[in-house]
Amino acid sequence: MLKEFCYLSPATREELLDMLAEKGSNGRLYAGGTDLLVDIRGGKAPPQYIIDIKKIEKYHILSWGELEGLSIGAAVTCSDVAGSAVVKAHYPLLAEAAEHLGSPQLRNRATIIGNLCTASPCADMAPMLLCLDASAEISSKEGGTRRIPLKELFTGVKKTSCAPHEVVERIIVPPGMADSVGGYEKLKRIKGHDLALASVAVAKKGDRIRVAIGSCAVTPVLLPDFPIDTPAAVIAAEAERSIMPIDDIRASRDYRLFMVKVYIERLMAALQHAQ
Amino acid sequence: MNEKIAAKDFNCVGKGVERVDTLEKLTGGALYAGDMILPGMLHAKVLKSPHAKARIVRIDTQKALEVPGVRAILTGDELDYRVGLYLVDKYILAKGVVRHYGEAVAAVAADTLIAAEKAVGLIDVEYEVMEPVLDPVKGLEKDAPLVHPDLGKYDYIKDVFTPVPGTNIANHTKLRKGDVEKGFSEADFILERTYTNPNVQHVPMETHGSIGQWQPGDRLTVWTSAQSPFTVRNLLSHSFKIPHNNIRVIIPYVGGGFGGKAGIHLEPLVLCLSRKAGGRPVKLIATREEEFSMLPCRSGLVYTIKTGVKKDGKIVAQQMIMRWDSGAYADYAVNVTRASGYSAAGPYEIPNAWIDAYTVYTNKPFGTAYRGFGHVEFSWGIERHMDLAARTLGIDPLEFRKINALKPDSITLTGEKITADSGNVTKCMESVAKAINYGGLTEEEKAREKKTGLRIGKSVVALHKAPAMPPYTGTAVILKMNEDGSVIANFSLTEIGAGTYTSVAQILAEELRFPISRVKISIDNDTEKEPYDWQTVASKGLLLSGNAAILAARDLLAKAYDVAGQVLKANVVDLNHDEEKVFVKHHPSHSVSWRSMAVGYAFPNGNAIGGPLIGVGRYVAQGLTNLDKETGQGLPALDWTYGAHGLVAEVNDRTGEFNVIKVASAFDVGKAINPISVRGQSIGGMLQGLGTAMCEGYIYSAEGVLLNPSFTDNKIPTSLDLPEEVVSIAVETPQLDGPFGARGVGEHSMIAVCGALGNAIQNASGADLTHMPIRQEDVWRALQQVKKG
Amino acid sequence: MKIRLTINNSIVEREVQDHKTLLHFLRDDLGFTGTKEGCGAGECGACTVIMNGKAVNSCLVLAREADGAVIETVEGEAADGKLSPLQQAFQKHHAVQCGFCTPGMLMSIKALLRINTKPGEEQIRKAIEGNFCRCTGYKQIVEAVLDVTGQLDKQEELIHE
Repeated sequence: MLKEFCYLSPATREELLDMLAEKGSNGRLYAGGTDLLVDIRGGKAPPQYIIDIKKIEKYHILSWGELEGLSIGAAVTCSDVAGSAVVKAHYPLLAEAAEHLGSPQLRNRATIIGNLCTASPCADMAPMLLCLDASAEISSKEGGTRRIPLKELFTGVKKTSCAPHEVVERIIVPPGMADSVGGYEKLKRIKGHDLALASVAVAKKGDRIRVAIGSCAVTPVLLPDFPIDTPAAVIAAEAERSIMPIDDIRASRDYRLFMVKVYIERLMAALQHAQ
Repeated sequence: MNEKIAAKDFNCVGKGVERVDTLEKLTGGALYAGDMILPGMLHAKVLKSPHAKARIVRIDTQKALEVPGVRAILTGDELDYRVGLYLVDKYILAKGVVRHYGEAVAAVAADTLIAAEKAVGLIDVEYEVMEPVLDPVKGLEKDAPLVHPDLGKYDYIKDVFTPVPGTNIANHTKLRKGDVEKGFSEADFILERTYTNPNVQHVPMETHGSIGQWQPGDRLTVWTSAQSPFTVRNLLSHSFKIPHNNIRVIIPYVGGGFGGKAGIHLEPLVLCLSRKAGGRPVKLIATREEEFSMLPCRSGLVYTIKTGVKKDGKIVAQQMIMRWDSGAYADYAVNVTRASGYSAAGPYEIPNAWIDAYTVYTNKPFGTAYRGFGHVEFSWGIERHMDLAARTLGIDPLEFRKINALKPDSITLTGEKITADSGNVTKCMESVAKAINYGGLTEEEKAREKKTGLRIGKSVVALHKAPAMPPYTGTAVILKMNEDGSVIANFSLTEIGAGTYTSVAQILAEELRFPISRVKISIDNDTEKEPYDWQTVASKGLLLSGNAAILAARDLLAKAYDVAGQVLKANVVDLNHDEEKVFVKHHPSHSVSWRSMAVGYAFPNGNAIGGPLIGVGRYVAQGLTNLDKETGQGLPALDWTYGAHGLVAEVNDRTGEFNVIKVASAFDVGKAINPISVRGQSIGGMLQGLGTAMCEGYIYSAEGVLLNPSFTDNKIPTSLDLPEEVVSIAVETPQLDGPFGARGVGEHSMIAVCGALGNAIQNASGADLTHMPIRQEDVWRALQQVKKG
Repeated sequence: MKIRLTINNSIVEREVQDHKTLLHFLRDDLGFTGTKEGCGAGECGACTVIMNGKAVNSCLVLAREADGAVIETVEGEAADGKLSPLQQAFQKHHAVQCGFCTPGMLMSIKALLRINTKPGEEQIRKAIEGNFCRCTGYKQIVEAVLDVTGQLDKQEELIHE
């Protein structure tokens, strides 16, 4: 890197929380680095500290329990999730979504929580986790631990409701949405790795259908629940009301909107077909 | 050079032998410019312009100079040198004005990269932003702001180029053949349309990088990732007014060039930094973002084609107007204009033609040589236009092309007569058509359509290109024998990835009748050690250097036979040789080994004759002429390589999504010296062509800022973007003066892919596109037009 | 700060600055220039190395965090002066042209073959999705991998008309 900063790597959770309390406002949390280091390289002023969370053993835990559901620690990578027997068994949609992020090299480093905390509107992990009712567990030295629905984490383009002295330690996906069916569609410019120009995640469980849309608003958008026999056109109309895609160098507003509706149709048709 | 040897009699030529330059690349041992470290070396960083056009009011380097480790800082004010291949219009660092986003304004050399970066961040520049010219058509308008108000004062090659002072025209190439107006009056249909291409980057995997050292006494050495060591030396000599002998250019392994490294780029800057730093070597390696904006790209093109056709399908007249958006400096762009100007109609016979091709200055990163040298860009327009004409006439597009294809006795745009030995574009078209089952859908394809709901379309397109080079282009090869009877060849064609070194090794092995394991090609290029070669561009390397290699081999053999004749007391005409020895034909046991002659022959008593066996081969292009400046008539073509693509695509005619199912490519290579290498060029170029066709292109803001200067938004094809099936075909109409009949094919594989895709998509769905790239959103938009219309 | 790691089976100990990437540490501090910088931003894959068994873009890994890691680079691929079967397959199939992407490409493939000894064409293409090659068009690379894994039934060739 041609920008200078200090590297800190706390060995325990307590050490991390202390560091954040003291240095959080001059520091950035460092997990996979696939967003952070790119930002530092391309930006003006680097943070004074980058705080590596990967030495903390419990953050590497990816586990399933009947009561709690799926627990994804802060250092768990997209590759971990995509390849996990436990995830494939209970939340195959999540394993599938994780395959869509970046390239194999990026997936081996990018963490689920890192992707969410970068909070790009096109975050690949956000739509499906929103559909699956995920929540985020956030801790700090003074504030203890709080849990929020994932939806409340995203507050704007690259903005989260996390304060500089806080860390998202876990994402929890409840057992209620285990064994959902559905899928994730992503609009790209090439067949190779690209960020999402627009994306749709659909998850159906029991009598509910959940739909979330990425890259079409300042945050990923979770639509209200739909009953299972809702026609695709109704969902598409609700989507159109809820999102605000933009014209930019990647795609036009019109095409993003059009493709969101196409993806909703396709995913709904696939659900019908599966039945 | 073309000995009519039956294919089965070749020992080495025509075989897919392993490449001679790739072992080091596989083990990580190959050193590229960025890997090299020299004693005392400093690291450089560049401050670039954030504006497309601005006056530099003030530059303050004081704070930057105070950064520890900084050894030299340069701004444009201190460097009064102008550089230019054909039109000398560029300062080493912007002087007084900046003319494009990303232009180098100041540079720092420091002990470490981080110190240099820090210093660059502390250089304070005050700009007065001016209104840029960002469009070549607007740039041609009467009161357009001028990118180079002093155009009239610049030096340029007068025999070849025509700048128009007081305008943004860096060059106007004209071609007039026959009588277009008469031709149009005889036409049954006249079709006119305009086609566009944006700027595109070469994206070599290795960015530009140079290390320069300017030692006291004006002795210059530069180690650089470049395609043309002698061009670099020559231009340095011209610009700095230093004799050739005091300039040394060394080229290590090169990680791709595609034309972007054909000329001179970072070398003058690193040399000047070195001079200011007291003669310490200075290394500058471009970042990827700098590669996209500070280094040059490929010119954009606005191409208006007006074609008159008769009901029977024959083209009677064509008027072609090219406006090349070539950015802030002329570089190679003026020659791209010229070379594509004389080739602009594609491989079709145009009895009456009128071409006006303009190199237009704009305030953008400038266009340099790029694989295809203008042909990729104009082929988009021509191949789409040929389909338009065919559709209008109700004739199948392949039939239409065959009716008009250049064939024996056709006359090209410049008045050259095509013969049966020129090459066979019709055969190329027919072979790809066969490979894609052109003319309908197979049962399998019909079933696929039914299953997917997508519509399949097919197209066949054709292309041609001759090397764009001076008519007097020459080269040389030096072949030296080692003590053990093996040989080393030195020549300064560079190996930028195309595989030419291996083909030359095969040619040498064949001519010498040695196994290829005994033929080594010296990989690095050094202007002090290798003999002259013009440039590694234009797909001329195999032909010219291959011929020079044959001559070098013959020269070495002749010298050896001379010594052997004396040793064996035999007539030279009675001698023959094999890989171990030279022997008397009718007494084969009378022989003298290569080893004993390699560095001089010693008789048993110690007397010596001969000396080190060194063969020299020189070859210069023969029979070519300059083009008349008014009519464009002349003989510019060393050889013509024809080609064709057949492309099968499926399109979702509702969403615009499409897949390229199959691409078959055929090139008349004369003789495939190394078939695996030819296939590699065919597929690699085809995918680079698909990149241009599907996803590449510069996007600027209204102010001329490049909005996609990185891979985040400037995509190139990945392994998942390759078509499902690729077929590579070699047609082999021998090139009579080519080495074993071979012609070059380095550029050709990317030339017509865009037109192939555009036509296949239109055939599948009706989407009618005239601009590039073709993204799925663009297909969708075009489909909306189809639905309306 | 000192780091200690294993590179191509050798243990190495060095002082390293906090902001130095693993890529620059390998190239500048250790002289392993085989691994290349193509973009510095995790897009092109020229800097791919294997870290603790996984292919990663070393331009986005800090040297400091590689403390205790096991790193494999292209320089460790050949053994006892002989090219590995994968390198030999690359040679045979002309999977190398300019060579700049090759070191990273080899590492991505090596990582794939560790977990999948007989990957299909689709899997191979997916495994190298993050390794840009501008020269070869990827086909001959895929063929080399199919060959070295004993899966190349029929080699497609240049057709001579």
